[in-house]
Amino acid sequence: MTLNLDQTWQSALDKVRTWARINSPWAIHFNSGSCNGCDIEILATLTPRYDVERFGIKLQGSPRHADVLICTGPVTRQARERLIRIYEQMPEPKFVIAVGSCALSGGAFRGCYNIMGGIDQVIPVDAYVPGCPPRPEAIIDGVVKLLAKLQGKDTSGEPIVIAEPTEDPAAALVQDGDVEETDA
Amino acid sequence: MDLVIAPGDLVAAAGALMDARWGYLVAITGLDLGPDDGRLEVLYTFAGGAALLTLRVPVPRDDAKVPSLVSVIPSVSFYERELMEMFGVTVEGTPNPDKLFLPEDWPDGVYPLRKDFSMEQLNRQAEE
Repeated sequence: MTLNLDQTWQSALDKVRTWARINSPWAIHFNSGSCNGCDIEILATLTPRYDVERFGIKLQGSPRHADVLICTGPVTRQARERLIRIYEQMPEPKFVIAVGSCALSGGAFRGCYNIMGGIDQVIPVDAYVPGCPPRPEAIIDGVVKLLAKLQGKDTSGEPIVIAEPTEDPAAALVQDGDVEETDA
Repeated sequence: MDLVIAPGDLVAAAGALMDARWGYLVAITGLDLGPDDGRLEVLYTFAGGAALLTLRVPVPRDDAKVPSLVSVIPSVSFYERELMEMFGVTVEGTPNPDKLFLPEDWPDGVYPLRKDFSMEQLNRQAEE
């Protein structure tokens, strides 16, 4: 339903919509192949001890109801299609927070044969939270900074990085064709 | 203790160990001896308490075939599937030859745990 409103009404409606999204972002969590360390920290963030519900964040079961996708893990080749499908099911506007060093660049698994190497290889990311795993305080900091950025402008511009690393740890982990024997 | 045996003797040797009730199979390991050596080895490690007995089965790299141990130990099926997809060793007689861990769209003929695997090989095969 499109209404042709004049400018004041349109901007007022935009403000209400932004206010509703910022004050109550509903989150969905997806693990694209991580070791579950970051998932445990995200779970801890959602408990009453850190109480993110004061920011209005609620964990939703379905991507169709969610505003924010909190994603962990270096995207494995099998998880890639599923992640894209979940991202496409979320209604606009949607935001993605990549949690953990695996989600940023592949982390400890960078260069492995079965991963894509970070979530931004697959879907656009708005906030990066480094750590292995990041503390719940860092995850909350990421969400709060994302919300503050949304208050400034409605569209996503530069992605947020929570802390700048002093050197690139992922570069030291790139392997060229080294393989190990397996123990099944 | 290591025993080097031929592929044809594998089922008999494993059967003898199971019949004598000595230990149990703990690991199936694929070993790539390097690109210059023309062989792969498959190691079946049995453990009886603290003692380890390994049956080493060398196979030629181009024609890597071992018989399946499913008739002796039914639960090796998963591990033989992993051996097949990671090393390219054909296990004859295994009931389910599908991929276990690798994704469905993984290209055929690319074996990640061989020494001569590289990401360029994977990307090249995937494009074909």
